Parts: sequence; C-alpha cells; structure tokens
Amino acid sequence: MTATKPVSLRKIWGKATPYLLILPVVIYYAVFWLRPVIAVIIGSFSDASGSFTLQNFVMVFSDENFMPALNNTAIIVVFSVTIEFFAALFLALLINRKFWGSSIFLFLTLIPMALPAVATGAMWITGLTAHGWINSLLYYIGILAEGDKIYWLGGLEANQFKLLALVIFIDAWQVIPSMMIILLAGLQNLPEEVKEAGYVFGGDFKTVLKKITIPMLQPTIQTAVILRLISAIQIWLIVVLLLGFGRMPLLVERIVYYHEEVPGLDISYQMAAGYTIVVSVIVSFTALLYLRASGAFKKEETA
Amino acid sequence: MKNKTNKKLIKAAKETVFYLFLTTLIAGMLLPVYFLVSLSFLSTREAYRYPLPLVPALNTKFELTHGERGYLLSVFDRIDKEYQTVLDTNDLEKMEIYIKSQLGTKITQEEIQVEIANLENSDQGSIFFVKPRDLLFNYDTFFKVTRDAVPALVRSIEIAALTILISLSIGGLAGYAFARYIFKGKDALRFSVLFVRMFPGVAIALPMVFILAEANLYDEPLGLSLIYSVGAIGLTIWITASIFMGIPESLEEAAQVFGASKFQAFMRITLPLALPGLAASAMYTFLGAWNETVAAIILTQFKPTFSVVVYQTLLGASGQVNLAAAGGIAMALPAIFFTFFLRKYINQMWGGVTV
Repeated sequence: MTATKPVSLRKIWGKATPYLLILPVVIYYAVFWLRPVIAVIIGSFSDASGSFTLQNFVMVFSDENFMPALNNTAIIVVFSVTIEFFAALFLALLINRKFWGSSIFLFLTLIPMALPAVATGAMWITGLTAHGWINSLLYYIGILAEGDKIYWLGGLEANQFKLLALVIFIDAWQVIPSMMIILLAGLQNLPEEVKEAGYVFGGDFKTVLKKITIPMLQPTIQTAVILRLISAIQIWLIVVLLLGFGRMPLLVERIVYYHEEVPGLDISYQMAAGYTIVVSVIVSFTALLYLRASGAFKKEETA
Repeated sequence: MKNKTNKKLIKAAKETVFYLFLTTLIAGMLLPVYFLVSLSFLSTREAYRYPLPLVPALNTKFELTHGERGYLLSVFDRIDKEYQTVLDTNDLEKMEIYIKSQLGTKITQEEIQVEIANLENSDQGSIFFVKPRDLLFNYDTFFKVTRDAVPALVRSIEIAALTILISLSIGGLAGYAFARYIFKGKDALRFSVLFVRMFPGVAIALPMVFILAEANLYDEPLGLSLIYSVGAIGLTIWITASIFMGIPESLEEAAQVFGASKFQAFMRITLPLALPGLAASAMYTFLGAWNETVAAIILTQFKPTFSVVVYQTLLGASGQVNLAAAGGIAMALPAIFFTFFLRKYINQMWGGVTV
C-alpha cells in the first residue's frame, strides 16, 4: 500500500511524526498547567466581582504576617541550602572511594529523602515533644538528668530563632544524604587524570579542590542547588505539623492557611491568589537568577 | 620489615576510622526513623512513659492478686523495673479491654478466667503470668479508628495508578520523540519541562479547584491525578527519553528490513527492551503521587488521600502518639519499598555513582 503512495506524502508524514508525538504533551500542558496559571494570575488581579484591581496585592503586602513570612522563608532558604550544600560536599569528598558495603550504604542514604512529608512530620512531632524520643535518647546517653526535659517547641515569640534553627535542622536531616549522593555521582564522573595533572603541577589538595574539582563539578552542583532552592522556598508542611498555623508564618503556609483555615470568603481566595503569585515570582526569579549567576545560559543546556 | 607492618597498621587504622565515620553517618540518618518505627509498636501505656522504652516489648508480664474491689492487676513496668498496679476490678470485660487497648496485648476473657482460677487454687497470695504482645495493634487501631483511612488508602493507590497511566502514555510518546527525532522547538519543550516545575504546585492547585469543579472532578481521584501528571509528565519525558536513547535504533531498522512496519518494530523490539526502564519511571510517578500532600489538601474535601488522612491525624495528634506513628509508618512503607527497587535507577539518573 505504502509503495503506491507518492513519496512526498510519506516524507511529510515522516516529518510530522515527532510533532504528533509531542502534541499530547503540549495540549496537556496548555489545559492543565497554562490554564490554571493564567487563572490564578487573573484571579490575583481581580476583585470579588471579577473587575481589575491591585487591591489584592495591597492586602497581601500590608498583611501583618507578610513580612514575617517573607523573612522566615528567606532565612530558611539561605541557611538550609547553604548548610546542606557544604555539609553534603564535605561528606561526598570524604566518601569518594570504593568500599565494602557501598550498595547498602547507598540505599540507606536514600531513605530520608524517600520518606513522605507526613511521615517525616510524624517522626519529628513524636520526637520533639517534651516526653518524646529525642529527650528520651538524650536521657539514656546521659546528657539529660532524670526529670530534666528540653522543651523544644515551647516558648512563643522569644524563641522564633530556636524554632527556625529546628526547621533548618529537620530539613537538613532529610536533604543532606541525597544531595551528598548527587555530588558523589558528579565527583566520580570527573576524569581522574585531570586531578592527577593538578597534583603533578604542584597543587595541594586544597588548590586542586578549588581550581579543578569544584569548577568541573559545576553542572552537578547547579542541578542539586537549583532543585533545593525551589523546594526550600516551598517548605511549610513540617512547620504547620510542628507548630500549627500562624506561629511561624511562611509564604506557602499563608496560601494554605487562607485556603483551608478561613475558607469560603471572597477575601480568602484573593489573599491566597496574591500570595501564590508572590511565591511563584520569587521561585522563578530565584531559579533564573541562580541559573544566570552559575552560567547555565552560556552553555548548551543539558537537561 | 618494620616499615611494612607500619604501613599495614596505618591502612587498618584508616579503614577503621572510615567505617566508624560511615556508621556515625548511618546512625544519624536512621535513628529518627528507628524511633518512629519503635514508637509505632509500643503500647499506649508505654508510649506515654518518659523516658520512652528503647525497644518495643514482645510480651507483657502480669501479676494478679486479690484487691479491695475484686482482683488487682499489675503490669511489669520496663522503665521502673517493678510491677505497677493498673486495675482493681471484678469485671472481666473491663480487664480485657484495658489489656488490649492500653497494653497492646493479646488476651481473651477465658484466658483471664483461667488465670483467676489459678490464683484461687494457688496457696500464694499472687500469681504471675506472661502474655504475648499484639505488635500490630496500633496499625490495626489506626485503620479502624481513623475515619476514612482504608478508603483513603485505596483512593491513593487509584490516584497513583491513574497518574502513571496518564504520564506514561503522554510523556512516553514525547520521550520517544526526544530520543529518536530532531525537530523544531525541541529545546523550547525541554526548557518548558523545567519551567513547569518552577511554578509551585500550590499555585496550580488553587485555581484548579474551580476548573475541576466545572468538570465535576473536584474531590475526585481523577482530578488529583490530572494535577499530579503535570509534574510527572516532565520527569517521565526525561526518563523515557534516556531509556529510548539507550536502545539502538538499528534494532528497529533491522526489524523493518524483515518486513515489520515502524509501529510493529516499536511494539515488538523497542518496547520490550524498554519495559524495565518504563517500570522505573512508573515507580517514580507512584512515589510522587503517593507522597504529595499540599495539592491533595486543597483539592479534596470528603474524599481525602491517605497522606491527607495521616496529615489530619497528626495535626490533631495531641492524643495518641503511637497511633500517629503507625500512620506515619504505613505512609512511609510503600515509599521506601519502591525506593529500594529504584535505587539502581536513581543512581543512574545522577550519573551512575558506584562509590
């Protein structure tokens, strides 16, 4: 049958194949991504009756919880990503060698990341209460005296700093192992000869690390850090599970708060939409800024 | 000679330090998980002891004597290392319920009667007996007591399956196109896959409430899986493209030489070879859908997913910590199970780390 068809038709069909194959994705993104994105953008610029307004953003920016939410989010992002990155790099450099039991070790490092957010929540809630497993453990290893307890989640405004440190610690616990594995993979893909050349020309460990290993690791670092940045901005669940809504306002926590805790009012949708746009802008902006700073746009994109 | 032994010693010392370091690292990673598992097996009475017992008990030791109101039941407390009185009653049913719910121990009224008879026949003032623990009691109770836990579990699996179906069929096609063809807009599409992820999930979930409501899909499993697929498709394209790239096109061409059409060649040659990789991609999608909580909270009302049910239990968890732990573990088990199967692919994805 096909042999009788004119050659040009077959050629056109052949050229069209890839476009037909990607058509479903394009349609899917248009309907289930682009459409809601446009809807929330329009929603954030509309009042209850649907006419254009900037009032939503005025409300968001003058919300008494906006500045605390922005600050808390910024602190968590900056500290957690920095600490996680350097700790993971340090550990990856230490482990970078072949050893017995490595496959088991690899699997174990995946467990913290594999834990669903609610399971992690359950873990730390049961740990951080005054009679939880953390205090029990500290008692058994002799750090806490009998009857002594640390009130991890206790205290209100005065302890915001302590609570932030706790959240950063919990996030680090979950993220460092998997980030370490990503960096380890990058380290092992580096050609050995380049490093050797560095040593031959008189470089010590520090110089080789700074001048050769880290720059060559750049693409790996870039992927690891950008994924972390994006998800660190969106931390909220663990905070709400530990402290409830409002005790440590965060940008995404505010979205869920307005949607879930004060539902039904026009103002709650407008506030949630406003916060959503703020978060989206921050996430995209941070990601682009980071990509730009790390020189991703100069090179051929290797997704 | 001496130099050689010295070197050996130094090497052995280095090895020891290295493995000590690894052990510390693993302990740091897994101790919290261990305590959650341990807590999920503790009886309610022990879950509220401070300090918490380090390991769950496999059985419970009892002491039975005559009390003022009937029989005096004491339990061996593992922390204080002594028998502590918990009940003074004649009521067998009350005893049974207490032993089952507070001590997480298997017992029947007949068994209690036997022990009482033993006490009456004994010339001692008290008797001692041991009963096995019902280790799964917390899990059992979590699924019975928590409204919706079982249907939510079924729903979560249904949502994950639908998400796999959608993302694998749509994303798999595009992945194949990426692997086999050069076409205009390839780079743009590649960037868009990243861009889609930059827009937070919450941002899509919010307007989706109305869009899904219009389509009568709000609070329906299909509605959630449509949202999850947005993120999952991108990952699926990425994984499937690399899988198809790994299968030489010459195999397909060879089949075509022997008279198969392009479609037949794909179905008979490429697809079977790609199956393990596609399964890995499906497991990834499963993990994403199973773990997701934020969109599920926003987009469900009367038909929550399992993660939402656990979230709600935790949010109100001033009560039963051991039940909350059981819920958390029930949530974590499938995730860890699939990660175990995926570890090879995860390592590959990050550049084949061999350590």
